Amino acid sequence: MPEKQVFRVYIFKKYVKTDLKMPVFTGKKDILLLFNYYLTHMKRRVQYITLAMTTVFSFGAFAQNGGETGEVETTNLGIDKLDEVVVTALGISREKKTVGYAVQEVAGDEVTRAKADNFMASLSGKIAGVNVTQSGTMGGSANVVIRGYKSLTGNNQALFVVDGIPISNQITNTGDQKTGRGGYDYGNAAMDINPEDIAKVTVLKGAAATALYGSRASNGVILITTKKGTKRDGLGVSVSFGNSRGTIDPNTYVKYQKEFGAGYGPYYGPDTLNGYFTDAKIVAYDVDGDGILDPTIPTTEDASFGLAFDPNYMVYTWESLYPELATYGQAQAHAAPDTDGSDFYEESVTTNKSVSIDGGSDMGTFRVGMTQYETSGIAPGSHLTRNNFSFNGSLNASDKLTVTTTANFIQQAAKGRNGTGYDSKNPNQSFRQWWNVGVDVDKLSQYYNETGKNITWNPYGYGAGASSTSPIYFDNAYFSAYENYQNDSRNRLIGSIAATYEINDWLSLLARASVDTYSEMQEERVAVGSVDLSRYGRKNRSFTESNLDLVLTANKQLTDDISFNGNLGANSRRTSVDYISASTNGGLVVPGVYALSNSASTPSAPYESAYTIGVDGFFARASVGYKNFLYVDVTGRQDRSSTLPAANSTYFYPSATLSLIFSELMDVDAISFGKLRMNVAQVGSSAPAQALMNSYNMGTAFGSTSLASAPSTDNNANLLPEVTDSKEIGVEMMFFNNRVGLDVSLYDQTSSNQIMPTKVSSSTGSIYKYVNAGVINNKGVELSLSATPVRTDDFEWNMNLNWTKNTNMVESLYGDLESLQLASVQGGITIEARPGQAYGNIYGVANVYDSEGRRMVYDMPSSYGGVRYLRGEKEVIGNINPDWMAGLNNSFRYKNFTASALLDMRMGGNFFSLDTYYGFGTGVYDITAGTNDLGNSVRDLVNDGGGVKVTNVSYWNGAVDSEGNNDYSGNVVGDQYADMHYYGNAFGWARAPKDLHVYDASYLKLREVSLSYSVPSDLIASYGIQGLDIGLSGRNLAILWKNAPYTDPEAGLSAGNIQGYQSGAYPAVRQIGWNVNIKF
Amino acid sequence: MKKILIAASAALMIASCGDLTSLNQNTKAPETVPAGTLVANATVALVDYLSDVNVNRNNFTLWSQHWTQTTYVDESNFDYNNRDVNGNTFDAMYATVLRDLSDAKGIIGADEQLDAATKAQQLAVIDVLEVYAYSTLVDVFGDVPYSEAIGESLAPAYDGAATIYVALGNRLAASIGVLMAGSDNGLGSYDLLYGGSSAGWAKFASSLGLRLSIRMADVSPTSAQAGAEAAIAAGVITLASESAALNYTSSPPHTNPYWDALVQSGRKDFIAANTIADVMNMYADPRRSAYFKNLGGSDSVIGAAYGLQSSYNLHSQPGTALENASRPAMLIDNVEVLFLLADAASRGYSVGGLTAAALYDAAVAESILAWGGSLTDAAAYLAQTGVTYDATNWKTILGTQKWLAMYSRGNEAWSTQRMYDAPAMNIANEAQRVTPLRMSYGIDEYSLNTTNVEAARGGNDDDTSPIFWDVN
Repeated sequence: MPEKQVFRVYIFKKYVKTDLKMPVFTGKKDILLLFNYYLTHMKRRVQYITLAMTTVFSFGAFAQNGGETGEVETTNLGIDKLDEVVVTALGISREKKTVGYAVQEVAGDEVTRAKADNFMASLSGKIAGVNVTQSGTMGGSANVVIRGYKSLTGNNQALFVVDGIPISNQITNTGDQKTGRGGYDYGNAAMDINPEDIAKVTVLKGAAATALYGSRASNGVILITTKKGTKRDGLGVSVSFGNSRGTIDPNTYVKYQKEFGAGYGPYYGPDTLNGYFTDAKIVAYDVDGDGILDPTIPTTEDASFGLAFDPNYMVYTWESLYPELATYGQAQAHAAPDTDGSDFYEESVTTNKSVSIDGGSDMGTFRVGMTQYETSGIAPGSHLTRNNFSFNGSLNASDKLTVTTTANFIQQAAKGRNGTGYDSKNPNQSFRQWWNVGVDVDKLSQYYNETGKNITWNPYGYGAGASSTSPIYFDNAYFSAYENYQNDSRNRLIGSIAATYEINDWLSLLARASVDTYSEMQEERVAVGSVDLSRYGRKNRSFTESNLDLVLTANKQLTDDISFNGNLGANSRRTSVDYISASTNGGLVVPGVYALSNSASTPSAPYESAYTIGVDGFFARASVGYKNFLYVDVTGRQDRSSTLPAANSTYFYPSATLSLIFSELMDVDAISFGKLRMNVAQVGSSAPAQALMNSYNMGTAFGSTSLASAPSTDNNANLLPEVTDSKEIGVEMMFFNNRVGLDVSLYDQTSSNQIMPTKVSSSTGSIYKYVNAGVINNKGVELSLSATPVRTDDFEWNMNLNWTKNTNMVESLYGDLESLQLASVQGGITIEARPGQAYGNIYGVANVYDSEGRRMVYDMPSSYGGVRYLRGEKEVIGNINPDWMAGLNNSFRYKNFTASALLDMRMGGNFFSLDTYYGFGTGVYDITAGTNDLGNSVRDLVNDGGGVKVTNVSYWNGAVDSEGNNDYSGNVVGDQYADMHYYGNAFGWARAPKDLHVYDASYLKLREVSLSYSVPSDLIASYGIQGLDIGLSGRNLAILWKNAPYTDPEAGLSAGNIQGYQSGAYPAVRQIGWNVNIKF
Repeated sequence: MKKILIAASAALMIASCGDLTSLNQNTKAPETVPAGTLVANATVALVDYLSDVNVNRNNFTLWSQHWTQTTYVDESNFDYNNRDVNGNTFDAMYATVLRDLSDAKGIIGADEQLDAATKAQQLAVIDVLEVYAYSTLVDVFGDVPYSEAIGESLAPAYDGAATIYVALGNRLAASIGVLMAGSDNGLGSYDLLYGGSSAGWAKFASSLGLRLSIRMADVSPTSAQAGAEAAIAAGVITLASESAALNYTSSPPHTNPYWDALVQSGRKDFIAANTIADVMNMYADPRRSAYFKNLGGSDSVIGAAYGLQSSYNLHSQPGTALENASRPAMLIDNVEVLFLLADAASRGYSVGGLTAAALYDAAVAESILAWGGSLTDAAAYLAQTGVTYDATNWKTILGTQKWLAMYSRGNEAWSTQRMYDAPAMNIANEAQRVTPLRMSYGIDEYSLNTTNVEAARGGNDDDTSPIFWDVN
């Protein structure tokens, strides 16, 4: 291992000289050689070698040294400085300065530093303009939206492109799952990408940057460049392994009240049979048959407005009911338990093992990699494994011909994913909404483990005869987790073959064929003995997308001042999907056998769907540069899409960009670099598959009579292509010897003529109708600030701030349509788009407010006393979009130590919580118990001094004016008390205005923290080890600030357009782990 | 290299020259189907809706105060907006029943193979089902889209409820004529109600005509009488075997929705309301053990206070007769028709000779027989004061007995109660109000068909304001 080497680099405007014994370098290729030379001699920081090979160094960063000599220390040649060449659409590498649109990059090690199940989650907070939200379950999906929601009903997810291959990011979650009615979050298909293989992530945000990708790229593109082999002596071997553990963040879970047991209120008597006990909060039943009534817990009740706990009072509970248990027939102390819903969650364990080998010679390079990722989620019985095998190689077949090939094989298998939404397979449905806080969760575990049976806290109970131990609403959560499990698997191949031929010194031709193909299976089960009807269902889906590309590239210096480069290309894409879904009917015959043939009744015909869609496109780009400070690009693409009617299937869209390096035209010491960029662009887009012709749905026969039904969505044979127009202007500057950098973009993007199934009055005979309509606009600002406040030999501090503000406006819908419903969700809430307002409004019945914004209350019309909130009309009570988002990363290097911390912040936006909507009404949460400021229990009647104090409300005394309208002129402002003695209290679902359960989705999270140590090479070189890095990392360590209680404001159900709704939300998981990287 | 170029270009040419639009065909679903499959589907969807007790779709067994809920009492307290029950009713009737019937009409009309006589028969069958669906909508909401519904308009106007009723009566009269002229409608097994018998449909159509006429009797007595007498003259359902009944299958998915809710769901949401319990217990109704299980002393129904949270185990629960997956469900049965005839006779209409009392007795007796009772039970029951027909108080007595007889037919039970205002409904415990007289329109109509829905009923969408026929 050579000594640390310092050498001189002479940097001029057009060339570089070094004092190493190397020739004078004048072009890009030569600079590459310099780097190769330098890196081969140094044999350090192998990761950077890879980067250097795929990128090309430019001298913009050192331009301030023009004409003079400078000294560059090797350790300062980090990624930041190598990053000056960017990958643009179609994988075209260009000097960043020539590009007239915003491009932002994230290095591979930033994605792997603190590993997430879904690598997309690792992008959160790292890129301006990119909004990433995670739904929160093991292997669940991440919603990645760049520069706001542009499509009213279509896909808003970014397009993922790996080494030039567009890959499927299909979200196959069901409509029920996305709207909170139950199901599993199967993640998004692009999460198959292995973070260990990623060299660099490049985000192309605007239409100008993505226009060459055609239709699908209107939502922005996430380009992933994978690691490649390098030309070197011998082989490079890299091994990494790590382990992390996760625990729930208690700050994101329910705080339970611990004073009152099961019940909905004083309802359990008097009745004609049994009389009643204890203010009717407990059921009287003669358990032992001695003719004397015994106190029994109303086990049918999934609420906690029952009898106050008193350990000295013995009652018969669910535990007394089951003959299998030692507690059978015995009364139990009526006491608060030791464990609650949060104790259901276990520690998650994630392991990651990865090996890669690479090498290269004059003949070419190669890299093979294998990674195994395994995780067990926080929910018992959940497990996910992913194996990635990757190969890429390039062969210099002749002086002029280079052939490259890539192949990625991915296997993913999961078992026991967490149920989501309002469904018995989601334990949070009961733990957060419908729960008896008197239940000891550890006992549920114990009894399930002892018996293997569904020993639930929620059986029919005493008096129900044979069904007294059958579940009424909820299963034992452990039984559900282990017996009602799902499993799924996906086998996928992503590969390409490409040949590049250098026709002459300025013209080359690329031909590439690529394919992304997978088959996946999803199986779901409900065991015999569950509260739901036993069932087995399976879905099989196969997906194939192939792309053929032919691109002619020209690169020529026309005169001394004028350079030209451009492309002429064609692309042909075919996507086919074949899907079948089948399930048993009427239950299972033999318990535990999950097969379609085990169906109690004849299974209905499976649902099938199969289609192929195709898009053929031709495109051209021309870029002209003048004197290295002015660059102008124009592009055009024409597509022909199979999903549009023949008459309208061909459409053309152009873009134009300009980049002006104004720092070349001025001489200000403080400004190291300055660029102005502007662009205008249009992207055309086609319809989803099968939106043109109506077809009938064949139903399950009625006996032997076949049934068919007209479709609920009326297709449209006259659709036109969608159009997205965008404008963008930006400034990129570097100051003080590149110590401070600034990048600002302003954009304005309008999507119109949208193809969407708009909801229509069902009296038309259809529920939805496909139309071309709707205009939606997104305007925004993106700001990136980077600074290196300290840089010495031993110590360096870098900081990076991203800030994004996007303003979304729905300008029009179809005709006079006043609302486009994105989803109608439980709780009487709809998520809507309305003209003149932002996409994703949350609509529901709101409180009535006075002119000062105080909630109005009025007397609860009952003898209990107290007030309740005055409910008004259905109106906007929130919006899913954040006001702004920010990410701040600070990283420090001290000698061989590196530390970094990422703060991720979201300000504004809302979500509706079905969890508190129901949970406040069932008396589960802490606010439903305790004492009020008068020193009385809030559960006492208000007339007796109890109730929950509501402050600064406007009390309406019920007065009406002569026309019968409410008269608020006599309202009294002040504090009032609201009843909390039963489920019909002022806060829960029965009484509350919906906006009482709309919360601020803002947060400030400590998203990632990492600490790593590179073992000095002199300590390890003798073992043949070239590099050894040891790291500690943490993910989602703390929510430093939020306004929403009991939950992670980021939690959701699934990626997609339906956001802003929590039902049975999972708690956030704090993950802490270690990782070792060894390079040989 | 040239070879590679040629190969790549060729590949691209091959890929891009195909006829792309052919890819758009759905190979897994047909663009046309036999009309009978649509008629059968509409029939099932119509009966499914009427027999549904799932709280998301149909709350009228609760509103009739036959049942109340155990724990989650929102729907018993008339919260139908939260689950969009009103919107779901629109969707079920328009987008499924009426749409499928409309498409079937189109397919039959365009079928050149079909002879004119059969075509007319099939169109008449479809017409009867359409009339049934529209009258159901009017009975629930009042004014609804009719003349512009299921057509080109994306914002169908609302028609006046009374106008629609008159139009429906005229359509029925025409269809009865066609059906009586034929014998076989050619739908065969797609005709799930009468197996292709036009005679069966003719009686169904007449009975429906009688129902619509009697509904209007308090508001337009003259036309009601004419309509009722014409329907009776054409021949109405008088035997149980003539009833318009859908025989559900014993295995899912085409099982009786009562079974779905009471057995398959595993839930225990419904118990007897004190409203029906009090009436049945007062006269020791012989149907008590069929309507409910878990009876108390002297086989009395233990009803829970309507709309109050109550224990499932401690109250009477829906009877075992309803826990039968293949139990037939009625669109109109002989019991209802006998009550309609008794009403017509009470009003002095010509009903073919029988007295109001005799028809009333027959109606009650047929109901008791249908629920497993005997003629002896019926005779004893009818002998009681308060049950015996009384011409001076016939509306209350007939109304109460018809309301009882419409058990497990929520829509008809609720309409009966509104028509006769008997028996008196209890005030729901939480809502502190009696059963609404109609449903307000769903939220979707307000966002999607705003102008028209706001003009409907003269702007009065209050659910306390009655349907046009509910004048007394």
